[in-house]
Amino acid sequence: MNAPAGLDLASIPERIQSEVQRAIQRSIKGVEYIASSGPSLGSTPKDILAVRGTMNLYHYRPMADEIYRVPILIVMATTNRGYILDLVPGQSFVEFLLKRGYDVYMLDWTAPKPEEKSLGMEDYVLDFIPDCIRRVQQDSGETDVSIIGYCFGGVLSLLYGSIFHDGPMKNLICFTTPIDFREMKLFSNFSDRRYFDVDRLVDSVGNVPGDMIMASFDMLRPASRAFSQVQLWDNIWNDEYVKGYRMMDRWGSDTLPLAGEYFRAITKDLMWDNKLYNDTMSVGGRAADISKITVPMLHAVAEHDHIVPYEAAKHLITKIGSTDKEEVMLKGGHVSLVAGANAVKRLWPKLDNWLGKRST
Amino acid sequence: MADKGNDPAVIWQAMIGEMEKGFNSFATQAMASPEFSRVMNQVGGVSAGAQKQLGELMEKYLLAMNLPSRAQMVGMAERIQSIEGQLNEIKALLQQVHHNSLAPEDGYGTPRPPRTKRPPSEGEPK
Repeated sequence: MNAPAGLDLASIPERIQSEVQRAIQRSIKGVEYIASSGPSLGSTPKDILAVRGTMNLYHYRPMADEIYRVPILIVMATTNRGYILDLVPGQSFVEFLLKRGYDVYMLDWTAPKPEEKSLGMEDYVLDFIPDCIRRVQQDSGETDVSIIGYCFGGVLSLLYGSIFHDGPMKNLICFTTPIDFREMKLFSNFSDRRYFDVDRLVDSVGNVPGDMIMASFDMLRPASRAFSQVQLWDNIWNDEYVKGYRMMDRWGSDTLPLAGEYFRAITKDLMWDNKLYNDTMSVGGRAADISKITVPMLHAVAEHDHIVPYEAAKHLITKIGSTDKEEVMLKGGHVSLVAGANAVKRLWPKLDNWLGKRST
Repeated sequence: MADKGNDPAVIWQAMIGEMEKGFNSFATQAMASPEFSRVMNQVGGVSAGAQKQLGELMEKYLLAMNLPSRAQMVGMAERIQSIEGQLNEIKALLQQVHHNSLAPEDGYGTPRPPRTKRPPSEGEPK
């Protein structure tokens, strides 16, 4: 009998041996996986500058002998933990920035307590961000501050920048930031105003549970969590794969609840009325028109972003008032754009090139 | 070496990848319908209400049993975290004080690097 075309019979024993070895490794590593905890995340040395309810402000200790004049404040998305930007040494965006000579601060969030259910959009935009900016100015001794906003952190930064357009923001960098919420098709359908009673939900649960937020993210790719388990088992012999899986899985499962009133505002103003895109957004009675933002701006979007599709993000660059502005589309998804092995090669060097010359 | 197209491991991985894409695509199409939204929100609304009632009932039950509720345990954990945070701050301050007493150079604590960095010129290593 002849071998099928392209099949090298001589390699079959070698392949069988390799598969048997992997099967043995899977059993050994599988036990190790269950018995061990994941890698320690968010371990870049930092000082806590302020903790106020859900708001946490960190200052990362500089790693360079000489730093840029303008400090950076990273504004994290309110649904997720900031350690996605500080995974492990060598795969930490924060560490990368520190080593390239930036002075880095992060506004990170913890789960709002039941009594914080009344926190609204105005608390985030008119209180928490300005408070952190003031503290960064005080701590660094500099007036100017560059802001990096990730996902909904980008939306909050845009709202802040549009209201305080004469303020201390020197540069604005947004990662995967939506402004046209109609184009987030599935989220838009989930929150269809004909069927989704946001008032009833918020009035009955207070803060919207993290599990509910995570389930809505999972529903965008409903099969992926199950298939990722299959892929994990398939690759469990590979330590690097397992490390990467554990980092992302832990972060992905660590979704934060959202303060009730804040969730109500997001649903009504952004998901239903699309006010940011329609230029009718206001926060605490103050108009938030992004065309008022004139500082240098970089918007990084991901080619395969299933959470914030390009259609939802693409108008930001045209609507913002800045003349020095750039949109960059990179390969990757919503998370791999900013974290992991791809980000190390793609986004981070691009950001450094753009921001370095604007940070003196 | 065997052709990649005949490698069972590669075929298996490709099949898994395609199945995942297929399921996701099918499910997202189904979820894009208004009917899905209606049913999901009906179920979600009932479940949120039931969850709240159950939570309240459990809280009363735990109170009667003289046991702490999950919310109280979370609150306690957060207070411990906050205390740990404050201890860290005190530790950092003590270290600064100790450091200053050994080398009192700027009166601020650990000296910070100067803010004089310039971006490297084209071709210069970073």
